[in-house]
Amino acid sequence: MIKNMANNFKKYSFLMQQLISRDFKVKYKRSILGVLWSILQPVLMMTVMAIVFSQMFKFKVEGVNYLVYLMTGLIMFNYFSEATSNAMTSVVYNFTLINKIYIPKYIFPIAKCLFVGINFLLTLIPWFAIILLSYIGLGEYACPINLWYILIPYILLCFFMFTLGIGLIVSCVSVFLRDMFYIYSIILTIWNYLTPIFYSLEILPPTLQTIFKYNPLYLFITGVRSIVLYGQRPSFVQLGSMFIVGLITMIIGLFVFKKKQDKFIYYV
Amino acid sequence: MIKLENISMKFNLGIEATSFKETFIALFNKKKRIKKNDNEFWALKNVSFEVQQGEVIGLIGSNGAGKSTLLKVVSGVMKPTKGKVTVNGIISPMIELGAGFDAELTARENVYLNGAILGYSKKFIEEKYQEIVEFSELKDFMEVPVKNFSSGMTAKLAFSIATIVNPEILIVDEILSVGDIKFQEKSKKKMMDMIKGGTTVLYVSHTLDSIRELCTKVIWLEHGEIQMIGKPNEVCDAYYKKQLG
Repeated sequence: MIKNMANNFKKYSFLMQQLISRDFKVKYKRSILGVLWSILQPVLMMTVMAIVFSQMFKFKVEGVNYLVYLMTGLIMFNYFSEATSNAMTSVVYNFTLINKIYIPKYIFPIAKCLFVGINFLLTLIPWFAIILLSYIGLGEYACPINLWYILIPYILLCFFMFTLGIGLIVSCVSVFLRDMFYIYSIILTIWNYLTPIFYSLEILPPTLQTIFKYNPLYLFITGVRSIVLYGQRPSFVQLGSMFIVGLITMIIGLFVFKKKQDKFIYYV
Repeated sequence: MIKLENISMKFNLGIEATSFKETFIALFNKKKRIKKNDNEFWALKNVSFEVQQGEVIGLIGSNGAGKSTLLKVVSGVMKPTKGKVTVNGIISPMIELGAGFDAELTARENVYLNGAILGYSKKFIEEKYQEIVEFSELKDFMEVPVKNFSSGMTAKLAFSIATIVNPEILIVDEILSVGDIKFQEKSKKKMMDMIKGGTTVLYVSHTLDSIRELCTKVIWLEHGEIQMIGKPNEVCDAYYKKQLG
């Protein structure tokens, strides 16, 4: 089965590439700044949120640079939310195609997660710029650039696997239950507030803290934060659970999708 | 080449109708409760036939007889509820042209996208790009977004992309009426060339004249069942008599 999948993957990698470049072309068509928006948008978002939360609501996380704290959580959650919502609609939106030609259907959610992923990598540029600026006095604290940065690609890979798994599951569910489009956007809003993006876990009562720690997104975001803000390596338990959570979610996603994909055609 | 054994295809017509409101009403009102069997619809019933290499098979039958469903089963888009399909060879589906176009992209970008959807490699499309453009007669419009194309122009482009390969099996669903008269003749000639080159063709059409002209064997489907298989003239005559006689 794995060999079969690898062959298929090779055969359809050009299609995947075409779908991703299509998304890019369509997304930035007729906008003057084009791809620059991928960089500009998270900076502006962060600025708005930083002003709202640190100036109006006086949010603070002790001992760290709040701007970097906020932006790390923000871009990571945005990646997850955008990738999974795009993946969710991708199968339904391509029904005209699925109905006419045989294409492995998993290609659509994977292409979306990759497309949003490339956008996410672009947002790492302004993110890193802000870390550098913290050295020359942006925010109260400087963020130490350290050796553990080499672990960030590993964390992001686990994060990608997790996102892809959820994306596959929601895209599959939405085929059978179109209400999922609305339900999932509410789930994302709730998930957004349950994830410590603009606040820190320490402001919550201890019992809630323990529950909140089971949020997989918290695991990935905290991993990156502890490296970037404190210069600390996440513990081996944390690093290990990232891999396990990512891998298991991806496998469940692939399994559910594979099992149900032949029935998609009846729900066009 | 293509072998179908006892193919049956079931659709559930009730799928669309299960809104929350209707489910709720059905809970209390027994009359409105839809019985499961009422919703079942067999688009194909026990269809079996074999196609050898180089044969040109015509499929005829009234609307809703199951012709397009049969093509979808052969091309792998649908899995049959019962029965077994064996297909040896590369299939090029021409079921409805232009299904894979993105209206926002230019014609040139769509050649690549649609080619990828049909399973062509990048190298192959680059090599054949000029040939596609020439055949489509759209040389001056390649940088124009497809949304500004007329339906005839879109169909011409799609036909040119789909027929650039020499597939072993070609599936054609009523498309020879594409474009202006000149292009129709050209596309017919292209099809003839492919048939002479040994391509197996499954051809659905309501134009009996073109079926008589092109096909070596005709299958007449009615209500999902094979009514008759045989020589084009015999089957077409019988079909014509049944429909209008």
